[in-house]
Amino acid sequence: MGAFLALGLFQGAVYGLLAVGIVLVYKAKRVFNFAQGEFGGVAAFTAFAIVVGAGLPYWVGVVGGLAAAVLMGLVVERVIVRPLESSSRTIMLVALVGVALFTIAIIVLLGQPIPRVMPPLIAGGGVNILGAGILPQQLILMAVLAVLAGAMAWFFKTDLGLAVLASSQDTRAAQVVGISPVAVSRLVWGMAALLGGIAGLLYAPVGIFTPGFMTLTMLVPAFAAAVLGGMTSLPGAFIGGLAIGVVQNLGIYYLGQQLKVPGAAELGVFALLMLVLLIRPQGLLGKEA
Amino acid sequence: MATATMVMGRIKVQRRFGLALRVTIVIALLALAALPLVLGGDVWAQRISRAAIYAIIGLSINTLTGHAGQISLGHQAFVGIGAFAAAFLASRLGAPLGFGLAAAAVAGALTAAFVGMVALRVTGLYLALVTLAFGLTAETTIFNWREFTGGGAGAFAPRPAAVSGDHAFALLCLGVLGLVLYIDWRLVSTKAGRALAAVRNNEQIASTLGVNVTGYKLAAFSLSGLAAGLAGGLFAHWNQIVQAMDFEFQVALVWVLMTVVGGLRSRLGVVLASAFFALLPLTLPNFLSSLPWQPSFLNEAVYHVLPPFIVVVMLLIVLRFFPGGFGQLLSPVTRWISGKGEKS
Repeated sequence: MGAFLALGLFQGAVYGLLAVGIVLVYKAKRVFNFAQGEFGGVAAFTAFAIVVGAGLPYWVGVVGGLAAAVLMGLVVERVIVRPLESSSRTIMLVALVGVALFTIAIIVLLGQPIPRVMPPLIAGGGVNILGAGILPQQLILMAVLAVLAGAMAWFFKTDLGLAVLASSQDTRAAQVVGISPVAVSRLVWGMAALLGGIAGLLYAPVGIFTPGFMTLTMLVPAFAAAVLGGMTSLPGAFIGGLAIGVVQNLGIYYLGQQLKVPGAAELGVFALLMLVLLIRPQGLLGKEA
Repeated sequence: MATATMVMGRIKVQRRFGLALRVTIVIALLALAALPLVLGGDVWAQRISRAAIYAIIGLSINTLTGHAGQISLGHQAFVGIGAFAAAFLASRLGAPLGFGLAAAAVAGALTAAFVGMVALRVTGLYLALVTLAFGLTAETTIFNWREFTGGGAGAFAPRPAAVSGDHAFALLCLGVLGLVLYIDWRLVSTKAGRALAAVRNNEQIASTLGVNVTGYKLAAFSLSGLAAGLAGGLFAHWNQIVQAMDFEFQVALVWVLMTVVGGLRSRLGVVLASAFFALLPLTLPNFLSSLPWQPSFLNEAVYHVLPPFIVVVMLLIVLRFFPGGFGQLLSPVTRWISGKGEKS
C-alpha cells in the first residue's frame, strides 16, 4: 500500500512535467497540445543516438536531445500551427494528433520498434521510500518538476510572460502595443518543446523505452493532471500530476490487485477525469474562463 | 424565331446526350469498382468487406463530427463493443447473424449515448480528451473482461452458413454500407439534418430557433454509435475472432484522420478515403516487397507503421491546402454528374 503510494507520487512527477508544458500552450494559445509527449520522445531518441550510438559524453546527448526537441517545436509551429491559426480548435487538435502519430512513425522508420535502455544520469541503487525502491533518476525528476513548475509560474509574472498572456487574450490589441503574435507563438512552442524534451530525457532512463512511449501511456494521464489542476494553473499542474499518479496506483492496488479488474490504472484516471469535469470543471486551482 | 428554336433544340439534344453520358460514366465507374469482387477471387472479396466496414466507421464518425460538430477520439470503444457483442451472441448463445448484428448496433448506440450524456456537460477540447480516455478505458478494461470477451485470447465469431463464403460476406457488408449511406442521405436532407447543422454552428442560436439541442446531440451520438456498433459486428464476423488489441487507440485516431481526409460531410469522399485506408495495410506490404529495389530501412516491422504514416502525411496536406478533403477535390466531378452545375 505504502509502496504503491510512493510509486504513484514519483510516476505522477512525469505526468506533472508533461502537464506543465500542456498548461503553458493552453494558457498562451488555447490549444490542447497532443504533440507534447512526442517532444520528449524525440529528445530521448536523439540523446540515445548520441550517448549510446555514437558514444559521446552524456551532456552532449542532453544538449543534442533538447536541441532536437526545440527544433521540432519550432518546425511544428511554422508548418502546422501557424497556417491553421484561423481554423477551428477541433481541426487544430486533429492536426496535433497527426503530428504525434507522424513523429512516432518517423522514429519507428529510423530506429525500428525495439525497446532501448538509456543510462541514467546518476547510476546506483534505489532509495527505499515507504517500501518502494525509488531510483535516483526519479528523485531528480521530482526535483526538476518542482523547479520548472515554479519557474513557469514566475515566467508568467515577468514582462515577457505578461506579453504572452496579453497576446492570448486579445491578439490585435497586443499587436497595437508592440507584441508580435508570431514571436509569441514561436516563444511558446519553443518553450513547450523544451519542457517536453526535459520530461522525455528524464523519464527515458527510468525504464525501458520504445517509440511512442511518451504518447501512448503518458499523454492521457498528463492531460488529466492538467485538467485536475485547472488547465491554466502551473502549481495546479504540479499537484494534479502527483494526484493522478497516486490515484492511478491506488486504482492498481484496490481495483487491480484486490478486485482483479483489468486495466485498473486507466479506469482510475478516467474516473477521476470524469469526476473533475462533472463536479468542478474549473479544476483545483483554475480560475473561471 | 427559327434560330431560337434551333438553339433550344441543340441545348435539348446536348442535355439529353449529357444525361446519357453521365449515366454511362456512373455505371462504368460502379462496374469498375465491382470488378475486383467479380474477378479478384476470395482475396479481393475479403478486402472489399474490410473496405465496406471501414466506410461504415467513417460514415459513423462523419455523423458525429461532420453533421453534429462533436468530436470522438474514442470510436474504437463503440466499434469494439459491437464486435464483442456480436461475437458473444454468435459463439456463446448461438444466435443467428441478424440478431447478433442488431445487438451489436444496440450495444454501440447505448455506449455512444452514455458518452453523449457526458458531451452535454463537457464540450469542445475537453470532450475530445474524455472520449480519448474513455476509449483507452474501454480497450483495457471492458475488452479484457474475461466473462464477456474471453480476455486476451479473444472471442470467436463464426460466420453462419449463408454468408460463410467471402463473396457472400462481401455482399452483406456492401448491403449494410448501402443502408448506412441511405440513412445518412435521409438524415441530411430532412429536418433533422438542418437541426444538426444549426447545433453544429451555434448551440445557443439553435436553441432560440426551437431546436432541441440536447435531444439532437444525444441522437447524433446514438446514431453514430449504432453505425459503429454495426461495423464492429461485421468486423467480428469478417475476422471471425475479436481481440482487445484490435481496438488500440491509434486505430481510433487513424479513423478520425481518415474521415477528415475524406472530407467531413462528403459521403463519397468519406467512403473513398475509408476504403483507401482499409486497403492500404493489406496491399502496401505486397506492393513494396514486389518492388525490384528494396531500400535498406524497409522491413516487416516498418510495413506496419507505414500506413498510419501515409494517413498523417495526407491529413497534414489536406488540412493545409484543401480543408474539404477528397470531397472538395471531387466536387466538380460530382456536381457535373448530378447535373447541379448546369444552368437550367
